[in-house]
Amino acid sequence: MILKEKDLMTIDEIKNVILEIIRDIDDEADFTNLDPSEALRDQLDLDSMDFLDIVMELRKRYQIQIPEADYPQLATLDSCVNYLLPRLEAA
Amino acid sequence: MRKYPLLIIGGGLSGLAAGIRFARFGQKVIILEKHSKLGGLNSYYHRKGKLLETGLHAVTNFAPPEDKHAPLNRLLRQLKIPRRNLILQEQYTSEILFPDRASLCFSNDFALLKKQVQKYFPDSAEHFSKMVTKLDQYDPFIPRPKISARQFVSSFLPDSLLVEMLFCPLMFYGSSEENDMDLSQFVILFRAIYQEGFFRPAGTIGDLLDLLLQQYKNFGGEIKLATGVTEILTENNRVSGVRTASGEIIHCSNLISTAGFPETKKFFAAADAASKFSNSFEDTISGRLSFVESIYFLDKEACQHLPKDRTIIFYNLSDTFSYRRPDEAVDLSSGVICFPDNFQEKVKEDSIQLRITHLANYDAWNNFYNDSDKTLYPAMKTLWVERSKKVVAKIIGNYSENIVYEDSFTPVTIERYTSRTQGAVYGSPEKIKDGKTNFENLFIAGTDQGYLGIVGSMLSGVTMVNQHILNKI
Repeated sequence: MILKEKDLMTIDEIKNVILEIIRDIDDEADFTNLDPSEALRDQLDLDSMDFLDIVMELRKRYQIQIPEADYPQLATLDSCVNYLLPRLEAA
Repeated sequence: MRKYPLLIIGGGLSGLAAGIRFARFGQKVIILEKHSKLGGLNSYYHRKGKLLETGLHAVTNFAPPEDKHAPLNRLLRQLKIPRRNLILQEQYTSEILFPDRASLCFSNDFALLKKQVQKYFPDSAEHFSKMVTKLDQYDPFIPRPKISARQFVSSFLPDSLLVEMLFCPLMFYGSSEENDMDLSQFVILFRAIYQEGFFRPAGTIGDLLDLLLQQYKNFGGEIKLATGVTEILTENNRVSGVRTASGEIIHCSNLISTAGFPETKKFFAAADAASKFSNSFEDTISGRLSFVESIYFLDKEACQHLPKDRTIIFYNLSDTFSYRRPDEAVDLSSGVICFPDNFQEKVKEDSIQLRITHLANYDAWNNFYNDSDKTLYPAMKTLWVERSKKVVAKIIGNYSENIVYEDSFTPVTIERYTSRTQGAVYGSPEKIKDGKTNFENLFIAGTDQGYLGIVGSMLSGVTMVNQHILNKI
């Protein structure tokens, strides 16, 4: 079997990673009616302190540096995918 | 050379919380604690096989699990401690008692206090509601010039007795200022005590500290007990590390001091570094408020006659409630009477506890302690404890005959074990709200950052790490 040099994660994989991280922050988070184009914070009742956890967890798991100026790009599930797609390599 | 991304001075609740927060994301961090035990102002000691708590009477900021934005729940999420792993016991009812004048009860249901105000101060009820609406809209964490809380409250409430009664528990549970407090501090305390309320985690403060230490260590955090810092080392606008009492130098990229603001100033050996840290003299920024506290273990007979449904009674006997350093060694005209067993679902032990706290004068106790006659200090302790018993007996009934064990501590004891100058448990009246100092990688957390209480001090540690360090690494 030939491995591709750098497999990037798929859109669904990235979504799952984000949801898994949120589940880890708040194990009662309810994803059933989550709109991927709406702000995660408002829908899931998260605050800015929780939000920092998403950034730090991505850094810890994937060694990806997200500068503070880019935090707004992680506001919705869709924008997370757009931002992370070129940056996250498949495990 | 050892260099830590973060070094924390102080293994109290704010230092532990800051450490957990930083270690959680795989970062190296070390906590240095001067005392041989953790906890700082909320710690414990053993006498005659009993564990005696210092500080903790009750934890403020109770919130139900579903209130995700409440400080308690935010804190637990940040520390990654699942709420269901804790057993939280709520208070019964607490009381503000000005004997022969008025009494107000409050619980973890704010409606009770509102009803009490309506019942006993009907002319003020509407004004009180208006004030609460105003307080609800106030953000106490924005840095801004000091506003007198007394003036603010008095501008809403025409009845000065009600004003004093409302201030009484808030001052006893967190004011570093004499007879007044900054409006921001008032808002924090009003919410924490009246709108949220009191609880205790099951077990003792020792169990809570064990849980926090375990979490810190699970994340890889390092800690050194009995390791006092003697000097903060600087290079231009930055701190580079610390020197410990044993002479060891530990380097760090960031430093959080939970020792207190005036206490941190003392760590700068060079005069220019010290004045750069703060131009104020230590004695003008040191808190003046300290306490004596007696801890009693009473036999079960005491349950027959002591109040069963009161968790804490805040009393005042004088015409005007004054919260300031008393002229005498102790001010018995006011105090806090705490029944640590009167919490819901608390398992009853063989003996019940009673804790009595009064305002005290640090200088007086320090003079007794340093007197060439070494019998003076213990004799003064005994004298004031006996006087306290007589005063408190008039409020809750006599308990002297039920005492199986008792111990007391004074401002001198507090200073010795917590390194808080003059035993000032609520720290300096000057709060550093954003935690920043004139050294760009040195931050202040804990009481002197302006968050109050056990939940507050832990949130302070968490917030300083979030705002100044985690997002920069």
